[in-house]
Amino acid sequence: MDLAILFGGFIAALLAGVPVAVSLGIASALYIAFSGTPLVVIPQKMYAGMDVFVLLSIPGFILAGNLMNNGGITERIVRFATALVGWLRGGLGLTNIAGSMLFGGISGTAVADAASVGGMMIPGMKRAGYPAPFSAAVTAASSTVGPMIPPSVPMIIVGALSGISVGQMFLAGAVPGILMGFAMMVTCFLIARRRNFPREDWKGFGELLRAFAAAFWAVAMTALIIIGLLSGYATPTETAVLASIYATVVGLFVYRELPVRKIPKIIVESAVSSAGILALVGFANVFGYILAAERIPQTIAAAVLSVTDNKYVVILLINVLLLFIGTFMETIAALIILFVPLLQLAMAVGVDPLHFATFAVLNLMLGLTTPPVGVCLFVCANIAKIPLAPVVRAILPFLLTNIAVLLAVSYIPPLATWLPRTLMD
Amino acid sequence: MNEQAADQKNRSGGPVERFGAALAFICRVGTGGAFAVLIAAVSIQVVGRSIGSSPVWTEEVTRYALLYLAAFGTGVALRTGTLVNVDLFAEAMPRRISWLLRFLSAVAIIVLCAVLVMPAWRYTAIGTFQTSPALGVRMHLIHASVLVLIVLLGVFALLRALGMLAGSDDGLPHELASEDDAQLADGER
Repeated sequence: MDLAILFGGFIAALLAGVPVAVSLGIASALYIAFSGTPLVVIPQKMYAGMDVFVLLSIPGFILAGNLMNNGGITERIVRFATALVGWLRGGLGLTNIAGSMLFGGISGTAVADAASVGGMMIPGMKRAGYPAPFSAAVTAASSTVGPMIPPSVPMIIVGALSGISVGQMFLAGAVPGILMGFAMMVTCFLIARRRNFPREDWKGFGELLRAFAAAFWAVAMTALIIIGLLSGYATPTETAVLASIYATVVGLFVYRELPVRKIPKIIVESAVSSAGILALVGFANVFGYILAAERIPQTIAAAVLSVTDNKYVVILLINVLLLFIGTFMETIAALIILFVPLLQLAMAVGVDPLHFATFAVLNLMLGLTTPPVGVCLFVCANIAKIPLAPVVRAILPFLLTNIAVLLAVSYIPPLATWLPRTLMD
Repeated sequence: MNEQAADQKNRSGGPVERFGAALAFICRVGTGGAFAVLIAAVSIQVVGRSIGSSPVWTEEVTRYALLYLAAFGTGVALRTGTLVNVDLFAEAMPRRISWLLRFLSAVAIIVLCAVLVMPAWRYTAIGTFQTSPALGVRMHLIHASVLVLIVLLGVFALLRALGMLAGSDDGLPHELASEDDAQLADGER
C-alpha cells in the first residue's frame, strides 16, 4: 500500500505537469506521512543529497560551456567540421554530427548542444536543400553524443551516486561517444547517398588548417579538462572552475566575441540551471532513501535473479527497462532513482560498476530523442519550425544506430573500461 | 512562447507581477552571488596550493555556497521552467484543462512547501548546537539553506497561482533571458 502511494503519487504528479523534482518530493512526503516517519527526514535527506563534494563541479562545467557558447565558439566549430567532412555526400549532416562531437567536449548537456549546434546548422541545412525533418533529426540524434564526451553532467551525477571517480567516468564515456558519432556519420552518409543530398565544395588543406587554427582554443578546453583530471593536479570542481576561467579568457581576449556586460547574466543563467539540477538531486535523494528503506534494490535483484542469472540476459533486461523509463523520465531523475537499484542487480551477475555506469548513461541519453518526452526532439523541431511527428520518423535510423552502439558497449566492456583503466589505474 | 510575448508578460501587470519580478531579481542576485563565492573559494584553493598550501576553509565555503546557490536558484528555476516538468500530457489537453492542470501543479507545490516548512525549520534548529569543523560556523545557518529553498519555491508557486487567478499569468515559464533584457531595458530608460 505504502509503495502504491509512493509510485502512484509520483506518476500522478508527473502527468499533471508538476516539475519532476517536486513530483519526487510530493510522492516521498505522502509515503513518509502515511508510514508515520517524522517529516524532518525530508529536509535532512535533501541536504545530504545536495551536500556531495562531486556535485560542486556541475555549475562550473555548465558555466564553462555557456561562456564558450556565447564567445563565438559555435561558428568556429561548425567551420572546422565543414572543412573536415562537409565535402562528402550529405556533408552538412556529417558536419552537424562532427560539430556535436566537438561541442560535446565543451558543454556537459545534450540540450545545450542541440540548441547551439542546431540553432546554426538546422537553418543552414534547410537553406542548402536538406529536408527540415532530416535536419532536425540529425541534430537531435547527434546531440546525445555530448554527455558521453567529457565533460558530462550525467557522468558527474553517476560519480556522486556510485563513488566512481569523475575522471574515470569521463574517460569511460569517451570511446562510446566517439563510436556513436562515427556510427551516426555512416548512417547519415548512407541516407544522403540514397536520397542524393548535396555536398559542399572541398576547399583544400589550407582552409582545413585555418579552420582548425580558429577552432583550436575551443577544442583545447576538452584537452585542458582531461589533462586537469588525469594529472591529479586538480579536483573535478577545480577543473570546472579553471575551465570557466579559460573560457572567459578565450572569449574576451582570443575570440573577442564575449561581451563583458553579458558575463554576469551568463553566470546567473548557469547558476539557475545548476540549482534546478541540485533541487532534483535533493528531492530524488529522499525518494532514493525510501527505496533503500523498502529494500527495493534487493527486491528487484532477487526478482530478476529468480528468473535468470545469465549475465547477458540481465544486461538486456536492464537496457530494455532503462530505454522504457528513458522515454518518459528526465535523465538525471531516472539516474538518481534507478542507478543504485540496478547497479546492485548488475553487480550480482558480475558486471563491472564502471561498465554498467557507462551503458546506463548512454541508454538514458537515447531517451532524449524518443517521444513522448525527448527534450532534444522538441528543441530541434522548434528550431526547424516543424511539428514533432516528421522529426520522430526521420530520427528512427539514427535511433537504431545508437541502439546498436548501446548493445556493443553493453556487451563489449572494454569499450567503456579500457581507456579509464589504462590511463588512471 | 516568443520573446516578445514573454517580454510583455514579464513587464505587464499589477502588484503580484511586480513583486514576483522583484523577488526573482533578488533571488538571481543571491544565486549568482553564491556562485561567485564558490568560484572565488575554488580559485583561492588552486592558487594557494600552487604557492604552498591552500587554506583549510575553502572546501567548506565551496560546499555551503553550493547549498545556497540551490536555495536561491530553485524558485527562479521554477519560474523560468529550468525545473523541468513533463508537460506533454497536460499541454495536449483542451486549453481550459491545460490551464487547470498548470494551476493544480502550482497548488501542489504550494501544499508540499507548506507541509515541509516546519520540518525544515526543525532541521535548521538541529544545527544550532553544531559548528562546522573548519570555519566554526553554526550549522543552523547552513541547514537553513533547505528552509530557504522550500520557502522560495513555495512563494514562487504561490505567485504563479495568484497570477493565474488574476488572469495576468498563464502559468507557463517566464523566460530568464527576457526577464534580464526587460530589467536592462528598464534600467536604460
